[in-house]
Amino acid sequence: MGRHSAAAITTSTASTASARNAQQPAEEAVARAIDLTKTYGDKDAQVVALDHVNVEFMRGQMTAIMGPSGSGKSTLMHCMAGLDQPTSGKVIVEGLEVSAMNQRQLTKLRRDQIGFIFQSFNLVPTLSAEENILLPLQIAKRPIDRAWFDKVVDVVGLRSRLTHRPSQLSGGQQQRVACARAIMARPSVIFADEPTGNLDSHSSREVLGFLKNSVREYGQTIVMVTHDPRAASYADRVLVLADGRITQDLRHPTYDEILEVFAGEGDEVEESAR
Amino acid sequence: MIRIGLRDARAHFGRFVMSIIAIALGVSFVVGSFCFREMMSNQVDQMMASNSDADVYVRGNTEDKTADDGMAMSSGSSSSSSSSGTSSSSSASSSSDASKTYNRIDASLADDIAKVDGVRTASITYSVSGIVLVGKDGNAVSTTGTPTVALGLSKGTWRSATLTAGRWAQAKDEVALHTFAAETAGLRVGDTTKLVYPDGATDVKVVGLFSTDASQAGAIIVGLAPGVAKDYFQQETGQINMVRNIGVYGSANDGRPLTAAQQRTLADRINKALPAGSKARAVTGQQVRDDSAAATKKALGFIQPLILIFAIIALFVGSFIIANTFSMIVRESMRGYALLRSVGASPAQVFSTVIVQAIVLGLTGSVCGIGLGWGMVRLIVAGMDRMGMPMSGAVDPSVSDMLVGLVVGVVVTLLGAALPARRAATAPPIQAMNETVNPEKPVWPRGVLGSLMIACGAVSWLFCWRIALAKADDAVAISPWGWLNDWGSSLGTGWPLGVGAGLVVLGVIVLAPALVGPTSVVLGWIPAHVFTVTGRLATRNLARGKRRTANTAAALFVGVAIVSCLGVVASSAKASVAGIVDSGLKSDFSAMSASSGRIPDAAIDAIKKTDGVGSVSQSRMLLGVTYGSGDDKSSAMTFAEQPSLFTEVFAPVTNAGDADRALRDGELVVGVTIAKDNGWKVGDTVTVNGRQVVVDKKATAKAQADYQAQVQQKIAALQAQAQSLLAAGDTAGAQAKAAEAQQAAEDAQHVDPATLVKTKTVETHVKARIGAIIENSVYRSMVLMNDTLAGTIANEYTMFTIMLFINAKSGVNTATLKTRLVDAVKSYYVVTVQDREEFKSTMSTMVDQILIILYALLALSIVIAVFGIVNTLALSVSERTREIGLLRAIGTSRMQVRGMLAIEAAMIAVLGTLLGVVVGTGAGAVIQQVYQSNGLEKLSVPWGQLGVFLLASIVIGVVAALPPARRALKVPVLDAVATD
Repeated sequence: MGRHSAAAITTSTASTASARNAQQPAEEAVARAIDLTKTYGDKDAQVVALDHVNVEFMRGQMTAIMGPSGSGKSTLMHCMAGLDQPTSGKVIVEGLEVSAMNQRQLTKLRRDQIGFIFQSFNLVPTLSAEENILLPLQIAKRPIDRAWFDKVVDVVGLRSRLTHRPSQLSGGQQQRVACARAIMARPSVIFADEPTGNLDSHSSREVLGFLKNSVREYGQTIVMVTHDPRAASYADRVLVLADGRITQDLRHPTYDEILEVFAGEGDEVEESAR
Repeated sequence: MIRIGLRDARAHFGRFVMSIIAIALGVSFVVGSFCFREMMSNQVDQMMASNSDADVYVRGNTEDKTADDGMAMSSGSSSSSSSSGTSSSSSASSSSDASKTYNRIDASLADDIAKVDGVRTASITYSVSGIVLVGKDGNAVSTTGTPTVALGLSKGTWRSATLTAGRWAQAKDEVALHTFAAETAGLRVGDTTKLVYPDGATDVKVVGLFSTDASQAGAIIVGLAPGVAKDYFQQETGQINMVRNIGVYGSANDGRPLTAAQQRTLADRINKALPAGSKARAVTGQQVRDDSAAATKKALGFIQPLILIFAIIALFVGSFIIANTFSMIVRESMRGYALLRSVGASPAQVFSTVIVQAIVLGLTGSVCGIGLGWGMVRLIVAGMDRMGMPMSGAVDPSVSDMLVGLVVGVVVTLLGAALPARRAATAPPIQAMNETVNPEKPVWPRGVLGSLMIACGAVSWLFCWRIALAKADDAVAISPWGWLNDWGSSLGTGWPLGVGAGLVVLGVIVLAPALVGPTSVVLGWIPAHVFTVTGRLATRNLARGKRRTANTAAALFVGVAIVSCLGVVASSAKASVAGIVDSGLKSDFSAMSASSGRIPDAAIDAIKKTDGVGSVSQSRMLLGVTYGSGDDKSSAMTFAEQPSLFTEVFAPVTNAGDADRALRDGELVVGVTIAKDNGWKVGDTVTVNGRQVVVDKKATAKAQADYQAQVQQKIAALQAQAQSLLAAGDTAGAQAKAAEAQQAAEDAQHVDPATLVKTKTVETHVKARIGAIIENSVYRSMVLMNDTLAGTIANEYTMFTIMLFINAKSGVNTATLKTRLVDAVKSYYVVTVQDREEFKSTMSTMVDQILIILYALLALSIVIAVFGIVNTLALSVSERTREIGLLRAIGTSRMQVRGMLAIEAAMIAVLGTLLGVVVGTGAGAVIQQVYQSNGLEKLSVPWGQLGVFLLASIVIGVVAALPPARRALKVPVLDAVATD
């Protein structure tokens, strides 16, 4: 089963989203995927990672993408961020068609519009925390807004750790440095790939709290891929993927709601896998 | 496991290419150096066999310690008196210091020997140096580095030479040419050309061509009439009827060479027949050949170590590249190994999968290298052939050469692969999953050890310098400690110099990792400020793998050190010569002979007569002069000068006494080295022993009488025949005979009386006072006296002009005078006139030519070093895949990644070059200090050249960064980031 119902839900999600757009003009799309398809492998052993996905990510929102392994959630994010080339369909970020960009344009996009937070290995080991935070600006040769830097550093609470090398920081601290770095350039959208995947629950809360805070206070847009329902519960909106399609689009869900949905999906996936 | 290893090897083959090239280059140097040595020694053997081909040689029985180095001083390569008197002197490379010299023997012994049973012929081959053959195009025939050898040849005197056309020369105006010489000169039998004898050019006719069994490595061999050669030989040595050796061909094998046993029997028999008191001894030809071949090979021996140094560099870098390559492979296959381990493979088995790959790699590289080395030697031989030095020695590597190459290649590969293989085998499976980079061991122990080694090396150099100082000046002690002084002076300068250099070079290699940190900060300052981000990243990256960075730089370091050192020495040599000319030489021009050093008298006259010449000062060398008496005799190069020498030609650097006054007053002016060796002081009186060749009146009278009698006899016989013919009624025949008799009588009148003059050598002993000791580097090992004093010691037969110093008349344009002078000596072919600048540049040109060869070798070592940098960066790029991915994800452009790697590579290159330049310059300066008293008076550092090295190293770095950067950028950002 799955295929038909999933398609139906996607359509309905899209229509609700546009309906809400109409209701709240402030809610505009920062990034959009149009009929996005990504397949791996050759014809004999083709794997469909994304199956004609249409989705919009709104400015000033934190969106979590969830789903079981192999559901295509990471692929979706990678395509959105221009890290991966879709097989067909379009990706548009800030009105620019990412999927048609060459390397030079992609570099410019990453400098101006996009921030990244990865699960691990976020920092350049030879640079101190401060240097890591300022790195994107320096690479792009943009002026450094010291006031903004101070604010960011204070928010992530790393003032005392600025001269430390990544190897001298804990995992949570490292991820907070990564968050600070991503936010420093004030990109249109931050893509976070399992930002809390390697962290204990305490550190996770710190990082997620910081991300949430940046959305609320500075209107930052964040797209986050995660396994963890607890992490997803911080988001304004949760998209659930299965088999390359969006199966759920939840607005401000509670932890329990997510857990429920996810548990059900998980069962379904497990069943279909069998 | 072996199968897995082989499969892996196939899968990784692309990775191996660089390692294979490095190993192949290293092995090729090793094999090439062996091949080259064998080719040379084979060539020498062949030449010895054909050039010293007599079955037995009779030579002096005591070694001659006071052998006069004679004319070697100004002629450079070819020296007549030092190479043995027979045809072996035609070997291009027989060097004067390597072969022993024996006392000369009486030429008349040949007659005694000829009578010995079993002797087919006993003959003397006279060689004359300083002969120049003029080719068809009117220019002197010469080839690079090889001399022109003139031998008195006739039928049967040289078994290995075969007359191919015409006949042997019989008079002064005839020559027979070796085929190579004829070819080079473009001459054929019947052609007329000029031959420059030591006393001037003569028109000669080519009457014959001959070939020899072995190629003569480019030597121009000219066959003279034996009598002519003998005359010149005697003039040259200043001794009459004395020869170096007599060549004997045995008759036992019907004219074919005798076996070793037969040679011994014959030698024994001759030894018995030699009259007592002849001071001669017969030795087998085999022994002579072996001795001189060994001497020649010893002289050529320096070439192989030189090539081997570069082989070591190549192999060092090679093993290093292999270690890097395998580190990469092992890193990438870590999961595979973890899997193997978790399914039960033992560490040894995992180890073997890596080692199998290494063996495959080593074998492939070595085989390529052997081929490459063989090709290299072939190329060298072809190149030498083109430069006019044909080689007939075998160049193919022997089986043992190939085995050595193979073993070296495989062992180096195994050494390189062992460490990564161990890492693969011993890593716990869990660790394989994590990308934990093990922190590097601290580098300070290496820093301490390296500094210690450098300090020891520096002490050794200091020691060497003190020894040299003490040698040059008795007042200076090597050190305050007596025992050290004795040991030091017995040790000489060579060992401490070499040991010091070795310690410093090794020390720097050991120390280098500890230097990486500080230098990357210092060197990184510029890039970190010009390219803020990439510069800083690059600088920090360097300090991550300090050992790796240091080792990569070491490859460049060694090559650059060698070249900088030689650059400093060469530049100092040039500067020293220029310094002599600038500070000492006062004359406007100098003239010398390009061949043997003797300037023909006619040329001197021509120069003196040239319009605009103010004064001409002659430097005449006295042959065979010794000092002292009895057993304490010592020899020294002795020159007769004009009294005005020190005021008009060379300003003296006086150590003691007044050089100018001494020379004018007929006292000796002694070079400081000679004075020290003999313990002479100003005011001492020494006995000067010389030779004069004088007309032996008695013998001459007898010879003339004999000749007259002979002519009379002939005329009488002819007249008698005419009488008898007339009596028989043959009027025409009788008239012819009478005319013949008439002709004979006329011939006798026209005969050059000089040919009938018999000469003899007279020893002279003159007491002279030492008037001054001088320090000019040109005069350090000479004794100077004025012409008047010289006239009492030697005479025109035992003194030769080897150099002229010419001053222009005041007001004469030197440029136009130069043209006139050149015109004046043109017809003498061998005489060159140089102005001051040219005098300086003669030396420079020679030095530059040597440097070109070294630069070629340097180029190779740079190629290898570049491989090392490329490889190291490739490894570090592969280790930093995720980091680079991250950088790109946050907006680093491709150019910035390239720039970062280029800065890294350039800094490695600059580090290596900088170390090399510093150490090389230091070594060069030490060498200059040590050899200061041998003519390297001025230290000159070629800053420009060293600066070019540094700039070039930056370029090299940037170029070397291109391939790794391409590899780094080929990985998509996502893959790079997602690698886990």
